[in-house]
Amino acid sequence: MEIIRRIVIEPFEGLYAKILGFLPNFLASVLIFTVGIVLAVVLRALFFRIFSALGMDKFFERTGTVELLKKGGLGDSVAALLSKLLGWGILIVFVVIAMRTLDIPIVERLLERFLLYFPNIFVAALIVLFGYLAGNFLGRAALIASVNAGIRISGTIGKFVKYTVFVLAGTMSLEQLGIGRDTVIIAFALVFGGVVLALSISFGLGGRDIAKEYLERKLKGEEGKDEISHL
Amino acid sequence: MNSIILRTEIQERISEIGAADILVGIPSFNNARTIGHVVKAVQAGFVKYFPDKKCVLVNSDGGSTDGTMEVVQDTAVDDSSSIFFYHRKGPIFKISTPYHGIPGKGSAFRTIFQIAEALNVKACAVVDSDLRSITPEWIELLIKPVIHDEFDYVAPLYHRHKYDGTITNSIVYPLTRALYGKRVRQPIGGDFGFSGRLARYYLTKDVWGTDVAKYGIDIWMTTVAVANGFKVCQAFLGAKIHDPKDPGADLSAMLYQVVSSAFGLMDLYSEMWKAVTNSEPVPTFGFQYAVGLEPVAVNVERMIERFSLGVRELMDIWKEVLPGEVVEYLRGIGEKPIDSFHLSDGVWVEIVYSFARAFHTQMITKEHLLKSLTPLYIGRTASFVKETWESGASEVEEKIEGLCRTFEEKKSFIVEKWDT
Repeated sequence: MEIIRRIVIEPFEGLYAKILGFLPNFLASVLIFTVGIVLAVVLRALFFRIFSALGMDKFFERTGTVELLKKGGLGDSVAALLSKLLGWGILIVFVVIAMRTLDIPIVERLLERFLLYFPNIFVAALIVLFGYLAGNFLGRAALIASVNAGIRISGTIGKFVKYTVFVLAGTMSLEQLGIGRDTVIIAFALVFGGVVLALSISFGLGGRDIAKEYLERKLKGEEGKDEISHL
Repeated sequence: MNSIILRTEIQERISEIGAADILVGIPSFNNARTIGHVVKAVQAGFVKYFPDKKCVLVNSDGGSTDGTMEVVQDTAVDDSSSIFFYHRKGPIFKISTPYHGIPGKGSAFRTIFQIAEALNVKACAVVDSDLRSITPEWIELLIKPVIHDEFDYVAPLYHRHKYDGTITNSIVYPLTRALYGKRVRQPIGGDFGFSGRLARYYLTKDVWGTDVAKYGIDIWMTTVAVANGFKVCQAFLGAKIHDPKDPGADLSAMLYQVVSSAFGLMDLYSEMWKAVTNSEPVPTFGFQYAVGLEPVAVNVERMIERFSLGVRELMDIWKEVLPGEVVEYLRGIGEKPIDSFHLSDGVWVEIVYSFARAFHTQMITKEHLLKSLTPLYIGRTASFVKETWESGASEVEEKIEGLCRTFEEKKSFIVEKWDT
């Protein structure tokens, strides 16, 4: 009987005691998480109204940010986007507090490591977002400038600029995350250097005559044969 | 005199002069080769037509390194007694100063307006520093309507080669005429007369950090004068011949600055121009005569190639701005052989109005939007050149008149779409 009590009943009693001890933390944690969800939803709606009332969308329209976001595939208004981000931020804060309330050492250690790594994820995401927007913007600027300069491969130039910025942003974000840090940088340098070298060689050798003709035209000022005065 | 943009020595010079009746400003940047002739013409104009008025010549320079300011200071009318019946009662004052602000013609004008205000002048004029055809009569024609007839703004009227001033002929003149209802033929002519009152009014506007500080100044001056009810007229100055520039080098930037100023003013004065339904001529001074003009070389084939390149590469941007039927029309003519290339007045008007609306609603970054207009403008110019290759000056003028009428007829297009 004593053996049964020590092998079966005592561990169950211990487990029961632990569950009883853990239950308040768990319930507090669930409560905090629920409050977090409600608060995030309410504050998101509140921030959206405040941002809209402040005319934030019109301001960002004037600065060209809305267009950049649209071009980048983000259809939301700036007010909606910012209020969503704030809502998610609030929810994340409550999730962290709720998990700490559980008072489980392994969860705390994981949480600590995640919190230390989280800024890297945030910065990497920002780099990717900025790179995507800037790539589209600069690609279009290069395209328009090349067309106005009469360059026949304008489309290629625009795409080259756009994807170069994308690749650069991708490389930077991977570096920020610490994924294959040296490998990514070396690979990027090799690929980018290779592309530039290939272009230089192909322009210098393959297009030697075109380059010569172009430079001659530029240096001799024969480019602007039209004498139309536009103004 | 208490201006933060005028140098101390200029403020002292202004104090010495005190007040003046007439001021003529010459903006310059590396124009040593041509400015001497302009200065002589202005001085001769003062001597010949305003001998009893206190006159000041102001050179507002953008930091020339070729001695432009020295040329201005050293230039005088050689032997006035052999040319003029009358001698001046007083000296002609000269001020030559570098301007502050964004490099550009508008910033140069701002300094001229500041000096005009400080000297409390009655009448002002501005003339370009690269003019080869300016005569003393230009000063009389630009200043007298202000002094004797109480006009506030005197726009120039020139005889120009049929392919000279194509931005004026295809966009700025028809657009401003349709919008504001005044037929000012050269709204961005570059040489204007205006009253001291209007100069002071210009200075009240905070536009000197925008494209108005650059090429946009001319359309801004004209539009502000017309839209605010100042008395406007034009004076026939003869031929406009200026120092040859590299015309293709910065077309896109030039078009951007002029058109963004014109479209920006549409935003500012939208309530005024929406109410205007037709246009009327403005009083014109000066004896009009035909003048011989130098031929202009044009490479139509290359212009059409530029347009077709735009059709191939920029259609995605244009699709966001232009009506569907215009997009299809452009695709069609982009594929046609050069011989049958033609961009009609009606389509061109819809293109300009659609870009104005896109500028207003900020559909796309303004710089991208207006720079993407360049191939369309080149296409329109090529079409105009093809249509008028054999035409004389009066036929060309009739063609431009036709375009203006189309702008006026289709004005409802922009009025209806402006706020939607």
